Amino acid sequence: HGHLTPPKPGEELKVTFILKDGSQRTYEVAEGDSLLDIAQANNLEMEGACGGSCACSTCHVIVDPDYFDALPESDDDENDMLDLAYGLTETSRLGCQIKMSKDIDGIRVALPAMTRNVNASDFD
Amino acid sequence: MILDGLSLKFVRWASKRISVVGSGPSGFYTAYRLLNKSPDPIHVTLWEKLPVPYGLSRYGVAPDHPEVKNCEDTFAECAETFNQGKDGRKFSFIGGVTIGSDEIPLQQLLKQEDAVILAYGCQSSRALGIPGEDASGVFSSRDFVNWYNGHPGFANDKRFTEFDWSQVHRVGIIGHGNVALDITRVLMTNRVDEIWQPTDISRVAIDKLKQAPIQEVKMIARRDFIHSKFTNRELRELWEMERFGVRGKIDQKYFHPTLFNDDQLKDRPFKRRVEMCQEYSTPFDKRTKKNYKKHGPPPEERSHWVLDYLKTPLQTQTNDQGRVQSLQLCENELTPDNRVKQLPNSELNYNVDLLITSLGYKGQPMSEFKPLAVKWLGDRIANDRGRVLTTENEPIERLYAAGWIRRGSQGVIATTMEDSFQVADQVLHDLQNQQNLERIPPVDLSNIRHTTWQDWEKINQSELNKGKQMGRVRSKYLTEPEIYNYLSMNH
Ligand SMILES: Cc1cc2nc3c(=O)[nH]c(=O)nc-3n(C[C@H](O)[C@H](O)[C@H](O)COP(=O)(O)OP(=O)(O)OC[C@H]3O[C@@H](n4cnc5c(N)ncnc54)[C@H](O)[C@@H]3O)c2cc1C
Ligand code: FES
Repeated sequence: HGHLTPPKPGEELKVTFILKDGSQRTYEVAEGDSLLDIAQANNLEMEGACGGSCACSTCHVIVDPDYFDALPESDDDENDMLDLAYGLTETSRLGCQIKMSKDIDGIRVALPAMTRNVNASDFD
Repeated sequence: MILDGLSLKFVRWASKRISVVGSGPSGFYTAYRLLNKSPDPIHVTLWEKLPVPYGLSRYGVAPDHPEVKNCEDTFAECAETFNQGKDGRKFSFIGGVTIGSDEIPLQQLLKQEDAVILAYGCQSSRALGIPGEDASGVFSSRDFVNWYNGHPGFANDKRFTEFDWSQVHRVGIIGHGNVALDITRVLMTNRVDEIWQPTDISRVAIDKLKQAPIQEVKMIARRDFIHSKFTNRELRELWEMERFGVRGKIDQKYFHPTLFNDDQLKDRPFKRRVEMCQEYSTPFDKRTKKNYKKHGPPPEERSHWVLDYLKTPLQTQTNDQGRVQSLQLCENELTPDNRVKQLPNSELNYNVDLLITSLGYKGQPMSEFKPLAVKWLGDRIANDRGRVLTTENEPIERLYAAGWIRRGSQGVIATTMEDSFQVADQVLHDLQNQQNLERIPPVDLSNIRHTTWQDWEKINQSELNKGKQMGRVRSKYLTEPEIYNYLSMNH
């Protein structure tokens, strides 16, 4: 699962995942990696049923509001899939559509738990 | 087989045995979850009625949605990982056998397995129940979709192959779900080779469909716009067909942005649907947002689809060859408590040369549900968190249901996946607390014709190779004899 290019020294970007049990994992990754690739390479619970083709919504993540606006806006295809995501929030995105870049270095995202609605307070 | 006799025996004896019935997304995701999460040695057997796996991913999902079928990569990877056994976890696929038949009764599995999960999907269609539904040229969506997807039970069905497609100008589709939209897309782009040529659509079907000079497809719903069940992605694809000269229409009576109140527009998908319909109904150069102009100005209209509302089909009329020629309907109104009321003296007729009923797939009970006292809810299995219930609402030990047969025929693959994971987790939980079973030996398959995972790998490779030669992703075998023939010649 997931093949990541190791970041060049000095060019590492940081990303933090907040897992369903509330624990956190931070990784140093390279520019261009998608959140889906990163999650799968690290065996986090993100299915990515359609293999990152924006056709399933199983890579739904909730982005820390502090980073949300720094992301390029979601397009129709992504929004159509988000319509179907469990526990949709104002800052929901699809992990396969978010590519790491300097603009979002340090980004924090939560994996939504099916049984519970994640909200912004999860980032406190 | 890599394991020698002794270690095989050991695995069999020490591990939990689980059977999953049906190898569609729910069956496969259940197996996948069990294999990846079981704390103990486990042997999961996946049974499939057809000689090949994947259920509706292969025979339902539209051929022009190959990315939706990517879940098959996960399933294949899971099968390859565990097929020879890994860390005490083993997977077996047994295709071409129907569970619940004389060959292998469900009760046999219940006696030999620690748990049995029914994931056999919905194997028939909901009918309209109107006079003339059996006329030539009236098809259920399930039969039609099976036909164009090359399902071995339907690929050469004479009702389709001997039907005169060159007479099909106007089509009626009853229902407003995603399946109705899929079918509309297939019918209305039937002559756009660039869409279908690269796909795995049945050649037999697309060659026939191409003959149809389709002018109009009308999708007819009993309720109003707000109750349509399709999703925005599928609806957007219909609107975007304007680039081929295929335009969409909705009467202002049924759709106008001022018809909806703020409360209704609070729902995000609905609000987006309203915007989409409004923008695409507006002439190209007057559209306000650039994402509704991404394909450039559309060519002149060649044909169109219509979303039609508040009508109930009453009966079909046929010509003297018994072929459907029109559909009689009446108008409806919705009562304040949201029931459909037919309006008196409101009858009208639509001329149609083809009518497709798309009211949903329907689950079928197994004949053994009676002796097992399984509670049947009309189109699915009564259950509590996946545990199958008796008519007395007691859980039946070791028997579970997952996917469409558990929830009814609704939900995309992502929903089906979540559902299957929950059921698998429940099974693993119950196994920890369950008394060891006095097992009988597993059913002897040596005299039962069946396919294995290795067989499927051969078929798969052969289909991919055949496809490649034709510039297509895959060329499916269309009948069971062809599949078994290929296998017997390629031992
Ligand atoms: C036309 C259509 C288009 C769709 N398009 C999409 C889409 O674009 N995107 C999306 O996300 N979802 C789509 N879906 C939904 C998706 O297909 C379902 O969510 C999913 O397939 C349900 O999985 P299942 O395993 O419960 O049922 P199925 O996929 O029907 O699998 C059941 C399996 O059990 C087998 N079986 C039946 N009886 C027996 C028996 N007695 N013994 C052994 N095996 C048996 C069947 O042959 C079949 O392989 C579509 C559905 C349809 C009908
Ligand atoms: S992996 Fe399917 S939508 Fe992102």
